[in-house]
Amino acid sequence: MRTYILKRILGVVPTVLMITLVVFVMMRSVPGDPVVPLLGDAYTEEDAIKVREAYGLNKPVLVQYAIWLGKLVQGDWGTSILSGRPVLQDVLVRLPVTLELVVLSMGVALVIAIPAAIIGALRRNTWADYTATSVAMIGVSIPEFFTGVLLLLFFSVGLGGLLPSSGWIYLPGTCPMMVCGVSLWGNLQHVLMPAIALGIGRAALLTRLLRTSMLEVIRTEYVTTARAKGLAERPVVLKHALKNALIPTVTVMGLQVGFLIGGAIVVETLFAMPGLGTFGIDAIIGRDYQQVQGFALVTALAFVAINLIVDLTYTFLDPRIRYA
Amino acid sequence: MADSGESLRMTPRPISGGSTTEAELPVPGVAWPARVARSESPLAQGLRRFRRSTTALVGAAIVVGLVLVALFADALAPRSPIASDQTRTFARPSWDYPLGTDQLGRDMLSRVIHGSRISLAVGVSSVLLALFVGVPFGMIAGYYGGRVDAVVMRAMDLILAFPIYLLAIILMVIFTPTAGLIGTMKVTAAIAIVRIPIYARLVRGSVLSIKEKEYIEACHALGVRDPLILLRHVLPNCLAPIIVTTTLGIATSIIVEATLSFLGLGTQPPTPSWGWDLKANVAFIQATPWLSLFPGLAIFVTVLGFNLFGDGLRDALDPRLK
Repeated sequence: MRTYILKRILGVVPTVLMITLVVFVMMRSVPGDPVVPLLGDAYTEEDAIKVREAYGLNKPVLVQYAIWLGKLVQGDWGTSILSGRPVLQDVLVRLPVTLELVVLSMGVALVIAIPAAIIGALRRNTWADYTATSVAMIGVSIPEFFTGVLLLLFFSVGLGGLLPSSGWIYLPGTCPMMVCGVSLWGNLQHVLMPAIALGIGRAALLTRLLRTSMLEVIRTEYVTTARAKGLAERPVVLKHALKNALIPTVTVMGLQVGFLIGGAIVVETLFAMPGLGTFGIDAIIGRDYQQVQGFALVTALAFVAINLIVDLTYTFLDPRIRYA
Repeated sequence: MADSGESLRMTPRPISGGSTTEAELPVPGVAWPARVARSESPLAQGLRRFRRSTTALVGAAIVVGLVLVALFADALAPRSPIASDQTRTFARPSWDYPLGTDQLGRDMLSRVIHGSRISLAVGVSSVLLALFVGVPFGMIAGYYGGRVDAVVMRAMDLILAFPIYLLAIILMVIFTPTAGLIGTMKVTAAIAIVRIPIYARLVRGSVLSIKEKEYIEACHALGVRDPLILLRHVLPNCLAPIIVTTTLGIATSIIVEATLSFLGLGTQPPTPSWGWDLKANVAFIQATPWLSLFPGLAIFVTVLGFNLFGDGLRDALDPRLK
């Protein structure tokens, strides 16, 4: 098992290299020059050349990438051209916000989807099933930002500002600056709507997938056997059926990471959260090369990490699956 | 075979229905028509199943309705979607302005109606573009296998390895978003590029199994050339999954388009776009909550329509997938 994880972590390297290299080359082909907004009104050709030299922007793209990579190996993620701050510092400040959002939204998704899918599959073609499948159909058809707007309309406008519409209060212990709003209750108020907005779409998708695979599993012989040997319905459904039904579902959810990252960007933008999503989109639009590289690196790492977690989940769901 | 089928289909269905009983088989000339009568063409069967599903019909109705709205937007919209009236900003919904006006005094109803054009145009054409590139690649990779397959599929994996929004956003920044037709084409291209591998993989998978079938072997034996085999014999047989994925893919593309617009990277104003309008009006959500509601509802109904339609098609064309 340990060798397997080690092998997988080594296997991650080419993927991360490839994603960061492609992003690096693509960002350099974006029209325009980041030096121009940096110098602003004080722009002169001589200064521009100096700045380009200082940041190594005058070298060939692949050489620049090699330099970036060389520094990265030493733990230096580069320095933002526009803000002058080290990229790694910004990433570390923003990572907990996005992690909290994503983890909570997955929680929301699981809490809704697992019961809904079980009810849908066990009470197939009853009103409960129809309700679950119809709501799930609606859920997969709403983009995250519109779910967010509906929540805003309900909680912030309709209920007279019950929940704050934007901004962020940090969890105790994660405050990145000298002074910032820190409170558990305030944090919960701020994260609730974004997490639900991001979670509902996942919940809907999960419900649909899980219901279908539950329906297949429930008809298998081992479930009949489990019932025949007198097991109560609860362990039959939860231990025998659900665990096996989760395998294909987990695979598809793993493939959905790309959409989850997009969802995080959108939800963070809507609720003005200081997370990695807003960091990334601001960096890309502002052509802050170093920040974009940092964002691409985190995204690539998250992407492969989640795929690794998905593969490891299989061993838990089906002990026959072993990685040597 | 095809023309004899026309007349034979008129023969009444045998009562035995399902399995071929012994009584039917041994007598040649009796057994044959009976079998043809029972086997409707897969397309006809699919259509019958599709018509029986209420949700599929609702989806189809929404899609047809939207296409009509988009086609006749100029006639349906009471006003110009881009003409602003500074004396009437943020008007509440009324008889004159059923959905109110936005911050520039533009009629929201007209904007929502015209916005359907961008959503549908980008949704449909990006999927068609992705199909146009992805299907041939997938067919060639699956059919020839070996090194061709390896090269094509590695290229596809390269795109698939990217989180799709990261790629789409960077592509849009490279293309630099603009207004009007050109702007719409840029969004279409960006979405199509990130969607190509999906169709290439799908088609490759189907082709891998189809190329081992006897009728393809028969084609080889008859000396039919490869392009003809691919077009006439392989392609039609992998159409069902393509059609289903296409319809559901349009729904996804519409969401991606709306998301890009929401982030300010879609078709630029003054061209009316639902995602952009939603984003622009969220800023005023406290004072004029209805303004951000309508573009969002429009996106939702459109995506729902294509999802229902696609689900219905899937159940109709490939019941095994249900």
